[in-house]
Amino acid sequence: MKGRLFFKIFATYLAIAVLAIGIVGFLAGSQIRAKLEKQIELELMSYAGLVDLYPMKEIQSRVEEIARIARARVTVIDWEGKVIAETDKEAATLGSHLERPEIQEARVRGRGKTTRYSRTLKEDMIYVALPIRKGPEIVGYIRLARPLSDVRKTIEEFTAILLQSFLIILVSSVLVAFLFSRKLTTPIRDMEHFTERLRRGETPGTLMIRSSDEIGQLAENINYMVDELQKRIAALQEEKAKVEAAFSSALDGILILDHQGRIETVNRGMWTMIGERYRDLVGKTPLEAFRNLGLQKALDQYRSGGMPVSQEIELGEEDPVMLDVSITPVRGIDAAEGKTMLVFHDVTRLKKLERMRVDFVANVTHEIKTPLTAILGFVETLQEGAIEDRETAKRFLSTIARHAERLNRLVEDLLTISNIELGEMRFCFESVSLSGIVESVMNIIQVKARGKRIEIVSEIPEKLPLIRADRDRLSQVLINVLDNAVKFTPEGGKVTLASLPAGSNEVVVRITDTGIGVPKDEVSRLGERFYRVDKTRSRELGGTGLGLSIVKHLMTAHKGRIEIESQLGRGTTVSLYFPAA
Amino acid sequence: MEETRRTITHYERELQEIKQNLLYLGALAEKAIENVTASLLDRNSELARQVIEGDAEIDKLDTEIEEQCIRLMALRQPIARDLRFITTAIKLNGHLERIGDMAVNIAEKVLHLNEVPQLKPYIDLPRMAVIAREMIRGSLDAFVREECELANRIRRMDTEIDTLNEQIFRELLTFMLEDARTIHRALLIMQVSKNLERIADHAKGMADMVVYMVTGINVRHQWPGDTTDDICETKREES
Repeated sequence: MKGRLFFKIFATYLAIAVLAIGIVGFLAGSQIRAKLEKQIELELMSYAGLVDLYPMKEIQSRVEEIARIARARVTVIDWEGKVIAETDKEAATLGSHLERPEIQEARVRGRGKTTRYSRTLKEDMIYVALPIRKGPEIVGYIRLARPLSDVRKTIEEFTAILLQSFLIILVSSVLVAFLFSRKLTTPIRDMEHFTERLRRGETPGTLMIRSSDEIGQLAENINYMVDELQKRIAALQEEKAKVEAAFSSALDGILILDHQGRIETVNRGMWTMIGERYRDLVGKTPLEAFRNLGLQKALDQYRSGGMPVSQEIELGEEDPVMLDVSITPVRGIDAAEGKTMLVFHDVTRLKKLERMRVDFVANVTHEIKTPLTAILGFVETLQEGAIEDRETAKRFLSTIARHAERLNRLVEDLLTISNIELGEMRFCFESVSLSGIVESVMNIIQVKARGKRIEIVSEIPEKLPLIRADRDRLSQVLINVLDNAVKFTPEGGKVTLASLPAGSNEVVVRITDTGIGVPKDEVSRLGERFYRVDKTRSRELGGTGLGLSIVKHLMTAHKGRIEIESQLGRGTTVSLYFPAA
Repeated sequence: MEETRRTITHYERELQEIKQNLLYLGALAEKAIENVTASLLDRNSELARQVIEGDAEIDKLDTEIEEQCIRLMALRQPIARDLRFITTAIKLNGHLERIGDMAVNIAEKVLHLNEVPQLKPYIDLPRMAVIAREMIRGSLDAFVREECELANRIRRMDTEIDTLNEQIFRELLTFMLEDARTIHRALLIMQVSKNLERIADHAKGMADMVVYMVTGINVRHQWPGDTTDDICETKREES
């Protein structure tokens, strides 16, 4: 990188230098040559002019002398062109010189001059010739010649100087190019490293280039740009993080399908919803991933209609989840054009509640209808004449009363439950001693227990920590639980009340019976409204199926809880946990 | 993103479409079995009628897939893998269509069964149905993922169904020997069982084709016990 720039600068310098020296050499060279030639010519001409003053004979005899003074070759030619005297050569060996251009010129114009190659001396020569006159008549010519080797030598010396300066320029331009290119490339290279780091996604910091020229300006711009870029990236990332957080923390399941209808993104809510039922969703079509007809039909409907579709589907083989799926196009982002978003809402619980509500209504109807049917039946029998038979009538009336009572209890229980659920029940919380309440409840229950010869033992110590409770509701809780215990314990059994040492902030009352117990897998369902382990039997015993449900609700209102353990045929233990006051 | 979009050719999209349609057909067949089983267990004749009506959709899709395959073969002249894919698709299509028909057969028997008192609690039949559905789903899974091992596992599941079928047969035989009045119902149940067993056979046929598609080895008339996962291994080393 650096090398290339260096050579560029170097070559430029060199080219300029070569061009300059070339032009100087050419122009100055030819100028110098012309000047020198002219000088020699004038010098020779002045010598020749001087010599011309002498008569022919004089000249002829003193040729050598003239040649020495004029530092030239001297030729004397007679009017016919015959060489009479010559410094360098024997006159006889020379042919006629009349045709020589300088002589011709001298003859015609009175003076002649040429520069040409002398075959005699095998050298470039300057010839100058003047006619020698005797009166008006030309008797001969004097010619002076000097070789051009002097000029050449001068030119060569000049060229040598040029070459020397060229060498100096060459060296200095290498040096300058090197320095200059380094000065130029260092900041550029810095910038290059800087942008490279930026490209790799590192945080490059600030570019430190102190320079006021364009490069400095560029560096400043880059710094500004990076700063701006990082700000924007940070803003984008924050925005993205927000969207992602919303996307992944949404409780609803979200699937995004790409242009080809393959699953592109799955959010965490989706995984939570479908659990272990499906794996490896990404990259598959929903049909491949879920193999679900309902979902596929909804998708087909969406694709053919282009309108958002909302539908309920059931996912999973065993323990399926009910999902409400909405299919909409992804809008607002160009890159997302053609993508589809599937939002799943878990309605399993809702569906369950819906079913519970339906079941509840059915149960209530059933529960009310049973005693009513009995009452109506007996009333009808009485109307049809049974009233005449006093004994039977009495028995029937007591049966009617019993059923009416049950109906009344049921309605009361229902009212209690609905009041608690609606939050309309008023509680009057105060610090209450458990032992006192247990005693009063025992008195009520004892009557019933004695009838079944069931022993009720209270092992609750006098000094229990006080609890915060509503006196009446607490009694109701204990009565309901004890009533159940007596109800489901055969004659001769035993019901024990005990207190357990629990944590310092809890008071526990444990009611254990030796009753019929509850099958293990049904324990968890106790407390559901109208749930009975043994339906006919419970009803015979006058239960409404709401007792434990009420207890559960009341315990929650007291910020306590209930735990039930049971063994079929061995008995049940109900533990009531109250928070200490 | 842009790149992947461009690399999907029209041809590939057609192959994908066939695959998706087959999966849809499979889902329909599975649903038919599920519904017909439910209609038997819950004595819900309405559901059985739905199954019978729903077969029209299966038949329609069957025709569509077949046409797609034939058109693709005619126009694109697929070779090697793609050719094996297409042949497999055609075969799977046929199997699934027959499975749909058998679900209809069962539904018809269920309609009769629901009109008479239940002979006995159904225990093995729903089990067979569950296995049969699993086999169909497994075969299609293996087809989509091109998994030889899975297909091979599915092939071996066929023996379970056969065992259950024989068990039902023996049980019903005792009923019939004891009381001639049960013969009608027992025969109906037996046909239900037989049809489920046939469905499983078709599912096994599908798995066979998947093995062929992945490895190029024909295992159709081999006892599943004789072929081990080795065929999957040997082929993999070659390729």
